[in-house]
Amino acid sequence: MKPLHVILLAGLLGGVGTGCGTARRGAAVTEPQQQTVQVRLGERVFDATCNGCHPGGTAGIGVALNNKPLPGWLIRFQVRNGVGAMPAFSEEAVSAAELDALVAYLQWLRRLDPRDEALDPSE
Amino acid sequence: MPFALRTALALLLVASLAGCFRLLPTKGGGMTEFGGPRRVDSADVVLPAGYRIEAVATGLAFPTGVAFDDDGRAYVTEAGYSYGGFSSTPRLLRVESDGRTTEVAVGDNPPWNGVAFYPGSGPGQAGAFFVAGGHERPGQVLRITPDGETTVLVDGLPSLGDHHTNGPAVGPDGWLYFGQGTATNAGVVGLDNFAFGWAQEHPDFHDTPCRDVTLAGLNRTTPNPLTPDEGDRATTGAFVPFGTSTEAGQVIPGALPCSGAVMRVRPDGSGLELVAWGFRNPFGLAFAPDGALYVTENQYDVRGSRPVFGTGDLLWRVEPQPETIPWYGWPDFWGGVPLSEDGFEAPGERAPGTVLQEAPGHPPRPVVVLGVHASANGLDVSREVAFGYEGDAFVAEFGDMAPGTGKVLAPIGYRVVRVDVEAGTVHEFAANKGETNGPASWLGTGGLERPVAVRFSPDGRALYVVDFGVMTIGEQGPEPRPGTGVLWRITLDGGTP
Repeated sequence: MKPLHVILLAGLLGGVGTGCGTARRGAAVTEPQQQTVQVRLGERVFDATCNGCHPGGTAGIGVALNNKPLPGWLIRFQVRNGVGAMPAFSEEAVSAAELDALVAYLQWLRRLDPRDEALDPSE
Repeated sequence: MPFALRTALALLLVASLAGCFRLLPTKGGGMTEFGGPRRVDSADVVLPAGYRIEAVATGLAFPTGVAFDDDGRAYVTEAGYSYGGFSSTPRLLRVESDGRTTEVAVGDNPPWNGVAFYPGSGPGQAGAFFVAGGHERPGQVLRITPDGETTVLVDGLPSLGDHHTNGPAVGPDGWLYFGQGTATNAGVVGLDNFAFGWAQEHPDFHDTPCRDVTLAGLNRTTPNPLTPDEGDRATTGAFVPFGTSTEAGQVIPGALPCSGAVMRVRPDGSGLELVAWGFRNPFGLAFAPDGALYVTENQYDVRGSRPVFGTGDLLWRVEPQPETIPWYGWPDFWGGVPLSEDGFEAPGERAPGTVLQEAPGHPPRPVVVLGVHASANGLDVSREVAFGYEGDAFVAEFGDMAPGTGKVLAPIGYRVVRVDVEAGTVHEFAANKGETNGPASWLGTGGLERPVAVRFSPDGRALYVVDFGVMTIGEQGPEPRPGTGVLWRITLDGGTP
């Protein structure tokens, strides 16, 4: 097997493990206040659109999002086209600006500590 | 790592995600073993910095609500019923300062799903408790004095099905508001209702709309459990008894009381009025300091003749409009979105279709979407700077009932969330410690089990959390464990109310 094939196979297995694995992080109880305007908008879009299936970015009926290393363009692709049980969201449902904000929020979410290492809001 | 390789790996990750829902087993928080007794340890609960939680009373049998009398003493309702076949006597208990409880009143029509206190108007005019519930007989709203004298204020509510009479809440206008859940998951009586046990006991029971509705003629055919012939089939439409089919254009007359609604009465029980309709199960009702009515709604399950996928529980801000009673979407919308759109068809199931030929209105959008199957139940709104988050709503999430209500990839709920109702954002407020979510029995800790209601103390400085107790989900369905309920109290900076 060629090295590239080995890497891709490992990637596939890793992808399944990372994507479908039940590993998930709890939501942070106290969030740092230093959110940008865009992240705040993204949070509102998330809580109106995504929170049902991925509560707080953790697993629900959808997989956890706060531990997935997806690049922004791939998040956009997934939102617009849907994947598996997840429906697609049109520009009417999530505008282009809202999608940019959503990506910023999801990337910000990944950097939060899990719930039992909650951050002090004054920090 | 080269760009092409990173791209390939990312695409592989997405490809792997595509099949996750089908590949993974269901993993609800109730799907665990419980040997008892329940361990209670506030150190296993995490809160925002500066807050602390303590257990006020333990050993309760399925508590569902808390309210405070004119002297600020706490009272809890015990349901006297739980999904899973548990049925006993519903009770109103006073919680003494040492955590012991004193029985104030007992009922005969469980479950008692919630309690509110109507303050007295002055010396010699003591207040009274109002309790909503009922399932063994039609639903009721009761008035109970602090010395236990009980009067039926409202009777005959359509509470014999899946969901019951909920709330209540005292409005700033002095009226008593309460919620009434629907008989079914999505309008059609089906085999799931026989599994719950009520459809064979009340074979003529079904949902009743609050206003006239015109049907689209949706019918579903299933085996017929009402006849001994195993091959017998029954065809059933919406808003009609099991085994009754419907036609396009058929009008179902509206009535009051009705299913899936918020209604109100005067404190003496007179003047029943419709406030809003088109809900599935409006469980929690609370008024904010600005007079706004907030309502939590348990949304559709993936079960029965009309399963609906992916509908998170909702928090609504209800604007009472006596001249145009607002409709919130059940059984054809979720959160303002029609079920005819993509995304509501569960994998391997039939699409929900459309029940109504013409929607009775344009449902608004909710304040926020909460977790699918989280069972967003009781709520209250902070009004005191000494507690913080003034104007924010706090919602008790009972937790999923998987697999009976639908598949989940991880436990959902089992916590209290804070909703910034102005920004439309959800924040975890009280949850169990650990890297994963779940009830304490699932995590093996002494933390929260199934929060079912929250209520601020009269001075607003403490948030009381009613924890229903342990209910695991076995192969035969829910396995409720009486005597495992807890009343918790949360304060800021360790202060006591």
